Amino acid sequence: MKTKHWALLLGAVFLLLAGIVSWQYLGAKTASHAEIWVDGVLTQTVDLSRDGEYRIESAQGWNQLTVSGGKLAVTAASCPDGDCVRCGPRNTNPPIVCLPNRVSIRFSESGEMDGAVR
Amino acid sequence: MRQRILPLLLALALFLTGCNLLPEGGSPAREVSESSIWAMDTQMDLRLYGDTEGAVMAELITVLNRLDKTLSATSADSALTALNESGRTEDADIVYLAANARTVSAQTGGALDITLLPVSRLWGFGTDSHTVPDPAELEALRDKVGMDKLSVSDGAVSIPTGTMLDFGALAKGYAADLCRARMEEAGISGILALGGNIQTVGTKPDGSDWIIGIQDPDNTGRYLLSLKLTGSKAAVASGDYQRFFIQDDVRYCHILDPETLSPVQGSLRSVTVVADQGLLADSLSTALFVLGREAGIELWRQRGDFEAVWIEADGTRWITPGLKDRVVEGYYQVIEP
Repeated sequence: MKTKHWALLLGAVFLLLAGIVSWQYLGAKTASHAEIWVDGVLTQTVDLSRDGEYRIESAQGWNQLTVSGGKLAVTAASCPDGDCVRCGPRNTNPPIVCLPNRVSIRFSESGEMDGAVR
Repeated sequence: MRQRILPLLLALALFLTGCNLLPEGGSPAREVSESSIWAMDTQMDLRLYGDTEGAVMAELITVLNRLDKTLSATSADSALTALNESGRTEDADIVYLAANARTVSAQTGGALDITLLPVSRLWGFGTDSHTVPDPAELEALRDKVGMDKLSVSDGAVSIPTGTMLDFGALAKGYAADLCRARMEEAGISGILALGGNIQTVGTKPDGSDWIIGIQDPDNTGRYLLSLKLTGSKAAVASGDYQRFFIQDDVRYCHILDPETLSPVQGSLRSVTVVADQGLLADSLSTALFVLGREAGIELWRQRGDFEAVWIEADGTRWITPGLKDRVVEGYYQVIEP
């Protein structure tokens, strides 16, 4: 094999390995659960491995959540701007926030806190 | 050329993929072990990382059971009951706790008082029958209570006849300190939930922060704030929702005001203290609940060795500035430094 070919192969391998490392270390973590915070209170933890529909009620309105394929999406909401719906399906932070309804959906790896102060 | 490039490729591959031999955070994968026991009238959940032989877990359980046996105010054969009956003890744990309680009490204007056991019993706390006592009955107990009744000297604690001590406001924090010290000595990380007292020790195996929730006083399944803690920290809450009774639409909680000899009545629902020492966090959380928000904030300004969260009846949550960057989720207001 000519030197030029070896250089190309070396470059390709380097890019491949660099890509793998970047994906492992820099990529967003996939969550297994989503915490539903309503008006600043953690009201529910949703297992993202189970497909389902959830309706979140707050004093300001409602949000319809759909879990499918390991991701959660706000599929409908009473809020006027619809920003939360436009976030689309997610399983990584940043959280999906619906400011008008005061709903925040934060993604977590374990779905559980390490502990609770009581 | 080929002979040069092949080793280079191999070295490059090893360098890049070899990083993944360690999990995130750089620490080796550590085995998790969990145990739950019932001690000090509460459930205690212990989660340790790296205690492969289970030896440290066994030691911690021994410590917790020893303290449970020593510091129980209800057990007939505890060292504390013996003190309350005889008026004197040289038990090392009791002497240490009594001395510490006296210090914190003096620093908080008497808001922490470990001599209120007879008053607490008169209100029915620790029994099946809660009642609002007759004011005359309360006043009759006044000469039995007060931190000035407590004498700590020459490695012994002495109290007059009729005075009784209760370490409920300190015992779990002290237990957490002893457990943390043993875990750190053994190089073990983990998280201890001694009832509602949280003690984190060291670093999680993946290097991430510990995430703890602060319970909603009105709903034990919900949380008002979640905080991330780094390294070894104690987080302890005192509130009106843990043990209480309601009579004539008035809520009477188990935390007593040493001045009135009655359950604390005010706008606070809970105070959570985050500190390096479990004993400090435990004793201060009780004192801060007694003091109320304004006096508690003033104490924080004077000391500066703890952080705190005050939750008021109207839902307002006040946090000290040191926790601002520690809040993972939840609404809050930051108090002025």
